[in-house]
Amino acid sequence: MSTEENIVIRTEKLVKSFGENHVLKGFDLELNRGENLVVLGKSGSGKSVLIKCMVGLLYPDSGLVSVFGKEIPKLTQLELDELRTKIGFLFQSSALYDSMTVRENLEFPLRRHWMHKTKDEVNELVMEALKNVGLERAVDLMPSELSGGMRKRIGLARTLILKPEIMLYDEPTTGLDPITGREISNLIVAIQEKYHTSSIIITHDMECAKIVANRIMILIDGFKYTVGTYDELVKSDDPKIKPFFA
Amino acid sequence: MSKQSRRSEFLSEVGNISAFTGKFFREGFKPRYEWSELFRQCYIIGYESLPLVGITAFIMGLVLTVQSRPTLEEFGAASYLPAMVAVSIVREIGPVITALICAGKIGSSIGAELGSMRVTEQIDAMEVSGTNPFKYLVVTRVIACTMMLPILVVLADGIGLYASYIGVNLKGIVSWNLYTTQVFESLTFSDVMPALVKTYFFGFAIGIIGCYKGYFSNKGTEGVGIAANSAVVVSSLMIFVIDLIAVQIADILGLT
Ligand SMILES: Nc1ncnc2c1ncn2[C@@H]1O[C@H](COP(=O)(O)OP(=O)(O)OP(=O)(O)O)[C@@H](O)[C@H]1O
Ligand SMILES: [Mg+2]
Repeated sequence: MSTEENIVIRTEKLVKSFGENHVLKGFDLELNRGENLVVLGKSGSGKSVLIKCMVGLLYPDSGLVSVFGKEIPKLTQLELDELRTKIGFLFQSSALYDSMTVRENLEFPLRRHWMHKTKDEVNELVMEALKNVGLERAVDLMPSELSGGMRKRIGLARTLILKPEIMLYDEPTTGLDPITGREISNLIVAIQEKYHTSSIIITHDMECAKIVANRIMILIDGFKYTVGTYDELVKSDDPKIKPFFA
Repeated sequence: MSKQSRRSEFLSEVGNISAFTGKFFREGFKPRYEWSELFRQCYIIGYESLPLVGITAFIMGLVLTVQSRPTLEEFGAASYLPAMVAVSIVREIGPVITALICAGKIGSSIGAELGSMRVTEQIDAMEVSGTNPFKYLVVTRVIACTMMLPILVVLADGIGLYASYIGVNLKGIVSWNLYTTQVFESLTFSDVMPALVKTYFFGFAIGIIGCYKGYFSNKGTEGVGIAANSAVVVSSLMIFVIDLIAVQIADILGLT
């Protein structure tokens, strides 16, 4: 199934270091169209760094990162911005804009499209995105008035508002209670089915991985250690894989 | 830290700030323009600094007048009091004190705001949502500072001169008409113009250094504090350096 046009994101021999700290040492990854790929790895193993390379927030030292066949480090600013409209990025820290209300936060990614959208249309999109995460009542609050889990869900709503073709989730369920976590996981699956998005989901939450993953990839010591379905990996006897499913 | 590494750190800092300034001029004048954010920043930077600047200017004007009187009286020149105070306020005290106050208030708040946006990945989030954060955050703040500081200085000058009028009248009586005539007769083009022009540079320096420190703040909450603090220190220093240069240039141009 991995024919060329089916691959939306590809990294090959991706290397990224911060001074003496060698984070990624030659990481290979392929994200197929329409699939949910979960990336597992210990804290500090470079998962966030990996997906930041995919949107051009960080540039790799060597190796290849391409999205829709375009090599990220070679794009001009304009091409990169163009490409970024098709990629949604949920930050680990939610990264809501403190000085703006929830509504303004959600409107922010729409700014470049405002020329073509009326106030009502914008409002409709905002309310639809909030409805997706069940937080319509929070529309006029400031981020400082939200709980951690609410911030996460608003962050998700903000990412989804442009209906991106690719979603990169950095720990979408961390810090949420199990029920909300499950809701978010189900939401990720619903988004995949509804908008046919291709997603990379970084998580420590095995329940989330179980619900969302088509494939799971394990990152150890800067390399791709293994890749497989949940059922394959959960049965594994490998001492390096077992701890993840314990 | 060794002398060598401190010197190279200083030089690389100078280089980085120059590069940052260069980027401002390259990006700042290309569309799209962030008008609403610019006006919001003008409001925050200009209007909200007004009370502090006003109070300081008032006190400076009053104190300067009261303290200059004995010396002038000694030389039998008490009638020059309004003229002397006016010249010192307009030429030096107004611009520099206002700029220093703003370096403290505006510089630190820009440094802290952008610093915390950097630390909590808000700047990255802007970047991936296709809005150029440099334009949206940096260019607007720097332009707002550059435009608002001269206005604040002119207001501060006015308030300072009014306070000086009160100071003059604490002992002896000078009518408002006489006072203003004396003040405006004493002020020449070469008093007002160089002083006004340098305030644009003061404003620019405060904006660009506050933004630079915040934009490249280090990770962690500690980084935010450092960004705010060093924004104030460096921009205050820059104000004096610019003042020094401005005096030399005005001298060369014969505007003394
Ligand atoms: N901008 C940066 N500058 C310097 N070092 C960095 C930077 N970003 C990440 N690192 C380093 O890279 C390593 C991997 O960080 P990363 O954030 O990718 O971890 P992670 O796998 O996402 O961990 P977690 O599960 O805790 O989020 C860490 O050692 C971190 O110190
Ligand atoms: Mg991370």
